[in-house]
Amino acid sequence: MTKHEWTRMPLTICVAAAVANAQPAPDPAPPVPNDGSAAGSGSASAASAVDSAADHDELVPDNPMDEPVAKPKPPAKPRKPDPPVAMPTVIAAPTGWLLPAGVLYSRTGVDTGGGFITDNRVGLGDVAEFGVSSTDQIRAQGMSTDSPKAIQPYVGATFRMGVGENRLFDHQPGLVLGFFKSFDRSQDDATTRVAELTLVASEHVGDRVALHVGGSFWDASLTENSTAFSLHDERSGIGEQIRPFGGIQVRPLDKAEILVDVSWAPQFCYQCTNDRRIELRPQLSWGVRYEVAPWMRLESGVRVPDIASANLLDAQIYGQVTFTSFVLAHAVHGD
Amino acid sequence: MEASRDKPQQPTMQLRVWLRRLVGLALAFTAGTATADDPTTPPAKRDPDASFAQMFGGPFPSSRLFTMPTADVIGAYMLSLSGDGSLLQDPGRLTSAAVVAIGFGDLAQLEYRETGAISVTGVDAPLPALGVQLKLPLPRWRYLPAIGIAVRVGVERDETFGTTKVGEKVTDFYLVARERITSWLVLHGGARVSPATLAITGDSALPDTTLHRTLALPTAGIELVMNRDAVIVGEAAAVPQFRWMVNTGDPPEIMYGLQARLGLRWRLAPSVVFDASLGYQLESSDAMAGDGLRDLVSQWDIRLGAEVFVPWGALACRTVHAFCD
Repeated sequence: MTKHEWTRMPLTICVAAAVANAQPAPDPAPPVPNDGSAAGSGSASAASAVDSAADHDELVPDNPMDEPVAKPKPPAKPRKPDPPVAMPTVIAAPTGWLLPAGVLYSRTGVDTGGGFITDNRVGLGDVAEFGVSSTDQIRAQGMSTDSPKAIQPYVGATFRMGVGENRLFDHQPGLVLGFFKSFDRSQDDATTRVAELTLVASEHVGDRVALHVGGSFWDASLTENSTAFSLHDERSGIGEQIRPFGGIQVRPLDKAEILVDVSWAPQFCYQCTNDRRIELRPQLSWGVRYEVAPWMRLESGVRVPDIASANLLDAQIYGQVTFTSFVLAHAVHGD
Repeated sequence: MEASRDKPQQPTMQLRVWLRRLVGLALAFTAGTATADDPTTPPAKRDPDASFAQMFGGPFPSSRLFTMPTADVIGAYMLSLSGDGSLLQDPGRLTSAAVVAIGFGDLAQLEYRETGAISVTGVDAPLPALGVQLKLPLPRWRYLPAIGIAVRVGVERDETFGTTKVGEKVTDFYLVARERITSWLVLHGGARVSPATLAITGDSALPDTTLHRTLALPTAGIELVMNRDAVIVGEAAAVPQFRWMVNTGDPPEIMYGLQARLGLRWRLAPSVVFDASLGYQLESSDAMAGDGLRDLVSQWDIRLGAEVFVPWGALACRTVHAFCD
């Protein structure tokens, strides 16, 4: 290309652009007919009809005598898949994970000792959860030589709040402060009540292992013949109310987990000496959780209610089913 | 000569150094702090053609944490209904508290509130009070907190124990400040001066007695904004505590008690806030051994509640074309 041609090129472009701008605007896009075929007159009246129809969410038919029909709505945005739900308990011990906002959780189980549990919770704002449950872990005996029996149903409420895992910084464990408090429970002419304050941390180690470590602060009261005893009154040191607990989850298969945990529960003795009327007993549990569906899990395993006495004859085999639902979450978030 | 020249310069140099440090400190503090301005809150649209989504779309500011009033008011043409309760604190009995507030102008609200107190039964049984709360029209300057003042005239609450009648009443003068430190941290602090009255009549072991005491009660609160919809709230407040034992002859007392709550406020919808909290109540300042923090069974509880905002002005405009913009 010669120098002369180089200098002429911008001029050519400018002229071409001016000519293009001087051309009349193309006709508006023709309306799409009902059968989906492309057709239309492209006249000014049709264009105004399109505008008018667009205002009313209607389509203009080819034949003006035809009734206008509603414009098909754009397809709904695909909903984001529900995130996996981290369970708020290992087996009996709480975890440092919270239910997502609006997620409903329901766990029901039975064991070979005749125990029945139900635990129903709802996630609150991604930072807390509230639940009502009935447990079979609280046990009582007449004298110290009697075999303890579960007091059930033992109904109480749970409130937990905390910070999710990795929320503040990488490798930050999930931290949850929890409180469980029962209603009064009368049985064998005695009224009992328990409360537990917990602080627990949970951390994933790799993709398939999670550890849970925490401490619980227990209190319990026993009223018999108008005389009240409580754990905090009968035990001198605050250490008598504090117990460590923990658990481990291992996921050898994508949908199956092995669970082990150690937890504590009060045991009442109606006719023991005052300092032995309420004692905290450790419980060991192990089992398997199988994810049948994202909304359903089956669990089974073994619980030893008092491992301190090493009485394996007291061990119980349990079975549980857990359901989770995002129905409320979708309603709250409007998605 | 040099020494004489240096001497007058030394204080000036020191002053400059200190000024630089102060300015640096102020800048560093400013850099780490978001604006302290109030969040702008457009009022609900009062238009006859406004849709319900526009009327109830919010945002609606709240004038309380859990039980602690804040320096904010709910705004003009607004009504706030809130309450909470616990079935766990006193077995078999619902203990509840409520606030009804109507906004007047952007600076005031009339309210019916059950103000915090601990009754002779040891239950967190709030006492009813009618009052007005005012948000001072202060300029929006950084680090100048919003300040609210309130006066609540107590209404006597009566309880009967056999032949004995116990009357409890608390009137409040409240001053509370709110400072938005960052976008996720808000601090509240204040004090409440409460003339309290305890009247005992019909006790066989006591002559009829009416006890008066004025208490100065500090209060503090914190808000941590966790996400778009949820705020973690903590509050602690000294409250009046009434003490009297039936037929013992012991003189009744009005003492200092303590109430604290930690929980969340979750905005389910712009006009509906759900509250859930863990509460602690120290019954008396001289709690006996064994009471206090260790007593989980009787002094800790879980409370659930809610606050609902009703834009009555916008509703009236839409339905009867009154109070329109």
